[in-house]
Amino acid sequence: MMDREETRLRRSPFLIKDPGLHDYVQGIACRLGGDHCPDIRVYLVHTPYFNASMAPNGMMQVWSGLMLRADNEAQLAAVLGHEIGHYLARHSVDRLRDAKTRTAFASIFSAFGLVGGVVGLGVLGAGITYTQNQEREADRMGALLMHKAGYDTAESAKVWSDLLLELEAKPGGDPSKNSFFASHPPAEERQQALMQLAQSMPGGTTSAVEWREKTSAFRREWLQDELKRGQSEESIALLTRKIAVEPEQPDYLYIRGEVHRLRAAAGDYDAALADYQAAALGAGAPPEVWRGMGTVYRARHEIPEARASYRSYVEAAPRAPDVPMIKSYLEELGQ
Amino acid sequence: MKKYLLLPFVLWLAGCVTPVMTMQSGEQPVGDRLVIALDGSWNRIKTTGPAQQWTMEGLPIDDLMIYSGLKDGEAIHAISGSAKPFVFHSVMLPDEIISLFEGMLTRDGSTFQLTKSEPATFGGVKGYHFEFKLVRKVDSVELTGLGYGAVSNGELFSVVYVAPRITFFARHQGRVENMVRGAQIKGIQPATVVPASLSPS
Repeated sequence: MMDREETRLRRSPFLIKDPGLHDYVQGIACRLGGDHCPDIRVYLVHTPYFNASMAPNGMMQVWSGLMLRADNEAQLAAVLGHEIGHYLARHSVDRLRDAKTRTAFASIFSAFGLVGGVVGLGVLGAGITYTQNQEREADRMGALLMHKAGYDTAESAKVWSDLLLELEAKPGGDPSKNSFFASHPPAEERQQALMQLAQSMPGGTTSAVEWREKTSAFRREWLQDELKRGQSEESIALLTRKIAVEPEQPDYLYIRGEVHRLRAAAGDYDAALADYQAAALGAGAPPEVWRGMGTVYRARHEIPEARASYRSYVEAAPRAPDVPMIKSYLEELGQ
Repeated sequence: MKKYLLLPFVLWLAGCVTPVMTMQSGEQPVGDRLVIALDGSWNRIKTTGPAQQWTMEGLPIDDLMIYSGLKDGEAIHAISGSAKPFVFHSVMLPDEIISLFEGMLTRDGSTFQLTKSEPATFGGVKGYHFEFKLVRKVDSVELTGLGYGAVSNGELFSVVYVAPRITFFARHQGRVENMVRGAQIKGIQPATVVPASLSPS
């Protein structure tokens, strides 16, 4: 059954088929897995949520939302190491042996037998609920694997604190009520435990530069996916954190500007404009920065600025699918 | 004994049946202010969301969403779960309204690619036309879609049609385009080329 689902996943249009990125992430998993490397088959999946999962047959899914959130190779390794920890400790097999879980598993499989594809597998990833002790054991094993592979284990604690920031930003957000944290140890406890582990295993690298180099070609697409989620508060928390790490990177500034513009609450247009202007100063700013600026200026009745911004967009992206629409805005605004 | 075993199954089956109405050819009012002209019959599925949901082939094969008079501050989809809804505001520009539909259609993780966005007339009001490709998350089916719409008196009127790229979209595209050509929004207030809100203050 697992093999059949893996075959479906291999054919899925949601699979990120870039061989360079795939081999890179597979290499990280292999570095962590050591002798178990041949068992681990990594699949990069285009889904804008934080998740990685590993099935008992060695099929490992890594979602694009997780890769967007990782600041460096060590942070991705922390999550992959945790999943490999579950695999090596045979937690999923143990859970499936449990009679109750077997029933749940059957229902999960019947669900994704029906809907098929990645959603089913995603449900599976989230569906096998480990005990909190199993999660703690996977954290410990993950940290050991990270250390053995030469990564800075302190990054594993940062992964969870960063995720917590996003969940807390959600309106009415109580992370303890989130299904993810409901099945995992409390985030603060986990963070402290991981920090203690890191102190006992000092040293290691984050490989931040390599991570940025390997993922930069995908960043805009992953950011667009994040924007489309429409979860403005969570996205602002994520992007503010990313901007703090890479203040010169125009893609993060542009997308945060878009989030503000689309939310359009009090002060959002000012914030959007500030982000667009900062993004425009960066090297290789996306042309859509000028489209966003045009819309904000237009909303603020600053017509000459709106015209100039829209014109800049049309000049920078003459073949964009929305250029006829933007040209109609220019006509409305007058030449 | 058998009939007692059968009863829950029959009740379950009854619960699965979605109420469907046939929308006949000719002029059909949709809500209070929109009239559309049909050149063939459609199936209307009873739903609870803000849009009427019609189909030719049956859901989830093809899906026509018709919005008639959605008001400022209303979500463009039925609200469920804790995720923030996509909400229409009457001051939105056409590309911002199109972004709303994009957000709605990708809530389940489907991928959306805008292929065209241009000004168009809908129901006698200046509005928008857009086309897109969608890969549906639930079954990885590649879909093609189109949308038309306009804002009149602060209310949103729009149709969005989506169907599998292979066979089905082309089969019904003309029918939807004809429906759009024959659409009429009633009670239109005189429009200006440049909205008053754009005039320099």
